[in-house]
Formats: sequence, C-alpha cells, structure tokens
Amino acid sequence: MTSTLKGITIKGSAELVAEFFSFGINSILYQRGIYPPETFTRVTNYGMSLQLTTDTKLKTYLTDVVAQLKDWLFECTVQKLVLVITCLETNEVLERWQFDIECDKSAKETSAPREKSIKAIQDEIRSVIRQITATVTFLPLLETPCAFDLLVYTDKDLAVPDKWEESGPQIIAQSEEVRLRSFTTSIHKVNSMVAYKKTDSA
Amino acid sequence: MDLEDDTTVFTTLKSFNSFISRPEHPKRLSEPPAGSGNLQTQYKRSMELLDAAERVQSKNRYLQLDQEKKQMEMSHKRARFELERAASDSARDLEHEVDRNQELLGRIKKLEDREMEAAKNLSEKVEANRALRKNQEGLHKKLEERDLKLNTANQTISCLKDEIRDLKQKIQNQDSTISTQTLENQELQEQLDLQRRKYQEVSQLCQSLQSAQSSCSEHIIKIKELERRLAIQEQDISIVKIVKSEVARVPDLEKELKRLRDDNAFLRESRENCSLLKEEVEGLRRKLERMEKTKEEMVNIELEKERLAEKLQAWENLGQSTGLNIRKPEDLSREVIQIQQREIALKEQNYTLNSCVRSVERSQSELRAELTQQRNKTLEEQKKREMQDSLVRRLQKRVLLLTKERDGMRAILESYDSELAPNEYAPQLNRRLREAEDILLKTQNHNAEMEAQLTKAQEETGTLKLRLQTVELELESVKKQQQQASIAGSNSSVTKEEVSILRQKIEDLEAERQRLEEQNNILEMRLERHNLQGDYDPVKTRVLHIKVNPITVAKQQRQQEEEALREEVTRLRELVRSLQDGGALVHSQDDASLHSSSLSLSLPPSKEVLDLRKQMESAELRNQRLKEVFQKKIQEFRTVCYVLTGYQIDITTQNQYRLSSVYAEHMDDSLIFKKGSNGSMQLMETEFSKTLGQMVELHLHHQKSIPAFLSAVTLDLFSRQTTQEGRS
Repeated sequence: MTSTLKGITIKGSAELVAEFFSFGINSILYQRGIYPPETFTRVTNYGMSLQLTTDTKLKTYLTDVVAQLKDWLFECTVQKLVLVITCLETNEVLERWQFDIECDKSAKETSAPREKSIKAIQDEIRSVIRQITATVTFLPLLETPCAFDLLVYTDKDLAVPDKWEESGPQIIAQSEEVRLRSFTTSIHKVNSMVAYKKTDSA
Repeated sequence: MDLEDDTTVFTTLKSFNSFISRPEHPKRLSEPPAGSGNLQTQYKRSMELLDAAERVQSKNRYLQLDQEKKQMEMSHKRARFELERAASDSARDLEHEVDRNQELLGRIKKLEDREMEAAKNLSEKVEANRALRKNQEGLHKKLEERDLKLNTANQTISCLKDEIRDLKQKIQNQDSTISTQTLENQELQEQLDLQRRKYQEVSQLCQSLQSAQSSCSEHIIKIKELERRLAIQEQDISIVKIVKSEVARVPDLEKELKRLRDDNAFLRESRENCSLLKEEVEGLRRKLERMEKTKEEMVNIELEKERLAEKLQAWENLGQSTGLNIRKPEDLSREVIQIQQREIALKEQNYTLNSCVRSVERSQSELRAELTQQRNKTLEEQKKREMQDSLVRRLQKRVLLLTKERDGMRAILESYDSELAPNEYAPQLNRRLREAEDILLKTQNHNAEMEAQLTKAQEETGTLKLRLQTVELELESVKKQQQQASIAGSNSSVTKEEVSILRQKIEDLEAERQRLEEQNNILEMRLERHNLQGDYDPVKTRVLHIKVNPITVAKQQRQQEEEALREEVTRLRELVRSLQDGGALVHSQDDASLHSSSLSLSLPPSKEVLDLRKQMESAELRNQRLKEVFQKKIQEFRTVCYVLTGYQIDITTQNQYRLSSVYAEHMDDSLIFKKGSNGSMQLMETEFSKTLGQMVELHLHHQKSIPAFLSAVTLDLFSRQTTQEGRS
C-alpha cells in the first residue's frame, strides 16, 4: 500500500479496488459453483475468510485481467466491470454481476491524498462481499454447466491492448435486477448489482 | 498210495496223450484253465512220477507194448469222443452266435429308434435355433433402445452429478456444523455431568440443611414459647407493681379530688362572667367599626363636594365664556340637540355629495366611452381629412396639369393660327377649343366643388378638434375627480382580470412542468434500468474482454468433447452393425471383446450381459458343487453297497452292469448283467460265469432269482476262501 494510514492516493485506491475485484470474482465463482469447490482454498482477508481458486489457468487469467484493470483504474478510464455467467449448452446469459465504477478524475491531477482510512474502506468492501455471499439464497440454481467471462466497459478513446478485443454487452433478455451495496475509496466508487434471468415459474 | 499212483499215472498218461494230440486239437489247450493254477505241483509230482514211470516202464516194457495197441484203440475212441464233443461245442457256439445276432439286430433297431429321435431332436433344435434368432433380433432392438436410454441416462447422470456436487458442498458444510455441534454437545454433556455432580452434592447438603432446619424450627418454637411465658410473667409483675403504687396513691387522690371540685365551681362562675364581658367587647368593636366607616364616607363626600363645586365653577365659566345661557343642564341638552341636528344635516349633505360623486363617476365613465367614440371619430375625421388633403393635392396637381395643357393647347393653337390660314381649320379648331373650354369649365366647377368640400371638411375637423379639446379637458377634469374620488376604481378591476389571467397561465405552466418532470423521472428510471441491464452508450463506451477467456476455452473444450463423442458414436454404430451382421456373435462375449479391442475401444458390457454372466457363473458353480456332492454320494452309496452286499457294481456300457465280488479269487472274476428292453436282467457269459454253470442252472433257470444266485456265488466264494485259509 502506497497510502498512509490517514489518507489515500489514486494509486492506492486503484490497488484496493483491483484487490476487491480479485476477491469478489473468486467468491462469485465459488458461490455460484462455476468451478468445483474442491479447487478453492480458504484465505483470510478483510477480517473474514474468503475462497481463492487454485486452478492455475483461472489464476493466470484473473491476474491478467486484474493487472490490466489496475492500470485502467489508475487512468480512470474504466466505467464498468461485468462478470457474465453463460450456459454452455444454449449459450444463453444467465447472470450478470455488474460493478459500476465512478472515477473521480480530479484525483488524477491533484496528487494530494484523500481523507479516508483503509480500515473504513475495507469495512465497506467486506460488507459488499458478504452481500455477494448472501445473494446465493435468492438467485436461481445453475442447473447446466456454465462458464464465465469478464467484460470491462472503458472509455471509447482507449487503445485496445494486444490480448483484448471488443465484445458485446451480453445483456440478459428478460432479467431481474438486484442492487447490492456500494463502497467508495473517495476516488473510486463501486456500485455493485446482479441481474439474473427470470425463471419461468417466477 | 497205490491208487493214487495209478491215478497219477493215468493223469500223466492223459496229459502225455493230450500233449501228443495237441497239434491235432489246438482248441483243447485252452480248455482246462482250471488246472493251470496247480501246474507247479503237478510238474514236481510228474517229475517224481516220471522216475517211477521209467522204473515201471522198464518193468512193464512189454506190458506197455501190449497196452499200446489198447491204447491206440482207446485213443481212437477218445478221439471220436473228442470230435463229438467238439461238434456239440460248435453247435453251442452257433446258438450263441444266433443269440448275438439277435442282440445285434435289437441293437440296430434301437439305434434306428435313436436315429429317429435324433432327427426329431434335430428338427426341434432347428426350430429352437430360429426362435433364438428371433429372440436375438429382439435383443438387438432392445440393445439399441438401451443405448438410447443409456444416452439419456448419461445426460441425467451429468445433471445428477451437478446436483451431487451441490449436495456434497452442502454436506460438507453440514458435516462441519455437525462436528462443531458434536463438540459443543460433548462440552455440554461434560458440563451436565459436572452440574449433576454438583446437584447431587447440593441435594445432599439440602437434605442435611432441611433436617437441621427442622430441628432448628423445633428449637425456635420452644424458645418462642419460653419467651412468651417470660413476657407474660413480666407483664404480671409490672401489673402487680402498678396496682400497688395506685393503691398507695388513693388517699392523696381523694384530697386532690375535693380541691379540684372546688376549683371547678369557682372556674364555672368566672367563665360565665368572662362570656358576658366578651359580648360587651364585641358590641363595642362593632360600634367602632361603624364609626370608622362613617368617617371615611364623610371624607369621600367632602372630596366629591369639592369636585362638584369645581365642576359647577367650570360650567359657570363655560357659560360665561361661550356666552350661552348654559346655566342649567337643560340648556346643555338643548344645545346638544341643536348640534345633533346640525350633524344630521351635514350627514345628509355628505350623502348627497356621495351620490353626486357617484353620478359624476357614472357620467365620467359615460364621458370616457364618449371620449373613446370621439377619439375614434376624430381619427376617422383625421383620416378623412388626410384623404381629402391628398385628394385636394391631386386635384391641384390635375388643375396644374390642365392649365399647362390648356396653355400648351393655346400655344399650339396660336402657332397654328399664325402659321396656317385661319379659314381652313377654323371650324375644327373652334370646335376643339369649345370642347376644351367646356372641359375646363367642368374641371373648374369640379375644382370649386372640391375646394368647397375641402373647406367644409377643414371646418368640420376644426370643430372636431375643438370638441376633442373640450372633451380632453373634460376627461382630465373627470380623471382628476376620479383620482380624488377613488384612486383604484376601474383600473384595479382591469389589473385583477389581468392577474387572474396571469395566474391561470402560471397554473397551466406549473401543471405542464409537473408533467414534464414526471416524464423526466420515468425516462431517468428507464435509463437507470437500461444501465442496470448493462446497456451502454456506444459513442462514449467500448466493451472489452480478454480474447482467451474461460467461456471460449470452455466452448472449445465442449466442441472437442462433442467431436470425440460423435466419433465414438460412429464407432459404436459400426460395432453394432458388425454385431448385427455377425448374427450369433452377441452371446459370445469373447468375440465382442475381440471386436472392441480391435477397435481400440472398450465397449462397456451392458448391465444385462453382466447380470447374465454372473448368473451363469453362479449356475456353473452350483452345478460344480452338485456334481461334487453327487459324486461323493455315489461313492458313498457304492461303498455301502459293496460293504453290505459284497458286490462292487460298475456300469461298463449302457444297460450293462458288472458285478465283482469281495471274495473273488481273481481280480478279473466278475459277472456281467445286461438290462433288457423289458427291464429284465440277463446274465452275460464271462470267464467266471462259465465256472458257475451249476448255480446258474439252479438259481437262474429254475428259481429265476438273481439275488439268490448272487448270494449263492458269494457263499461259495466265501466258503472257498475260508477253506483255503483254513487249509493254509
């Protein structure tokens, strides 16, 4: 952490948010059973126990995405991060975990740290992850084998990196949306929400 | 001895003869097999006898020579006898052969029967084979159906696997909770045990305490009782003391009583006096109060008197100053009435003035209307005047033009007159001139008319202007009046109307604003919803993702798997086809496994096949066990039969039974029985049976009892063995 105990800089904020995404995506993948639970290990962060994948392919993929995301967060060019869960049999999008990112672009020019302690931010992050864990109770069961993808909504004027390409928004045709908690580092504000396909019975 | 010798000689002779006659009768050699067992002894004997015979021969050389002839005859006879015997033997053989022939014929018949049966069996088998083929085809169909079901089952299995995974997860969670709960439970049980122990201790303590309490309460009761008694006694003591002191005080008290009675009488008298005095005092006080009141009233009255005197003085002064005869209140009232009357008159004036004002206002409004009319009129007049001015100007211009024309004409005419002879064109010109003069006159008339009209109009306008000015003046005056009369007036009503109109407008605008706000809200909500659903503005935003993401990887994997499965399916289809072509290959699993191995793919045997295999194995096992058991039982049975009856019974060929006795002298000695087609047993001839001709004759031919025959044989053999044993 580059930030001091009292304030937070844009770099520190980007790192905190990227770390949150790493843990958040891992817990969604664990909770939704996209990968088998035995491929996860327990770690403790934010004062709570979290699940981290041990699948090497998945690990490298996530580190790639999060590293790139950190750069973009630092440049304040990212608007959204979306985790899409797709059914492999029908290629239908079943769930969309959307994290809206509001960047305070003025923080880019002024290097002065903001007044917000890391502990307060981590408390907010913890409550968001708790809520993600709790959403399993109302989300419909994923009955078919599924895979996930991470979409990043960026500014239009951004140069596309080598490994990346443009994609569609992967919108669910008939969806129910649930807003989750949000947290802010006072530079980046992350609003989280989940949209899922309406089941026929509902 | 001699006799024995003789017999030996005879036997030797006989043997010698037989030896000599052997080449002639080879059959006889095998005939006496019964004596072959004693050859050794016989040989020894014969050797001894030969010595003797040499001696005898030497003695009886001659006898022998004599006897030779006899012997020759004898041998001749013997030969004949022998021949006869051979004939009988051959006859018997023939019979035997005939029997065998019959037997063989029977056997042939049986074989034919069997062949017939075999043919039947064959046809049945063929039918069975067809049925089996049909069954096999049915099984093929079933197999295909099973395959389909298997596919669906695989799908369901995958679904179930997912479910299992979920359930496992749940189970893990629950296991962990259960373990924690069991731990807690153990802790709690330990605590419970501790508590129980404590409880027991406490209950023991309680019991001891209760016993102690009960004893204690008894003690307390006793103590209380004792205390109560003590208190009663103390009370008694105090009562006794008091009574004693009272008794001592009685004479003093009597004296005091007397004194007090006296005092009492005196005090009653003094009290009566005192009440009288009090009444007097009260009366005096009341008098005093009344006096004080009257005094205060007197002061007040004096003050009032002074004031009234002052007032009177003032009135008197007023009367003097005003010069009226207000010496008395009547004068004043009269004056007041006069003033009131004056006031009424003034009020009436005021009313009349108000009505005047109103009428003036009315006239003012009328005048205003008139004024507007007048203004309109003036405007019209002005317009008319302007028109007429313009008309006048036009006419003047025309007049000028006409005068110029006329001048031009005149000049032309003059020039004509001067240039040409007046006679030639005179009439024409005169006519023209006259015409022109007429026109001129007309125009002049018209002009004059117009001028008259103009003057008229000017006059009119002048009058109108005058009127206007007067009206304006009036208006000004009226306005002034109006301002004086009511500053607001009609203007306010106008403004009110305007205000109301403006208010209406404002309300409308407000309503519209609210509507627009609602619309805006709805649109914002929609935008929010779209945003939530992940919509974005393609102008500002671009959506990116890593090329090699888990979805594409998973899809590729899935495709590969699908292809592999498809290949497998085609392979399996080929396999099934080959199996169908192979026909009866289904039941031979070796072939199937060969096929599968040749296709480098292990065909998982269906459950049915496995079941059948298992059943078969178990059946085989059972068969094996049964066989073992049967063999054991048969062996047991045979040994038991052997031990009990003394015969070992073997089945040599079908329907033939060989019996060998326990007591047989030789291993090969055995009897063979054959079971006939009607179930009867027949003894077959053997080497051994031949020696038993007597018994056969007696027991079989006469008594027709095989058991008796067998028993007789047993007994005979047994006796023989025992005798031999006894002899040896």
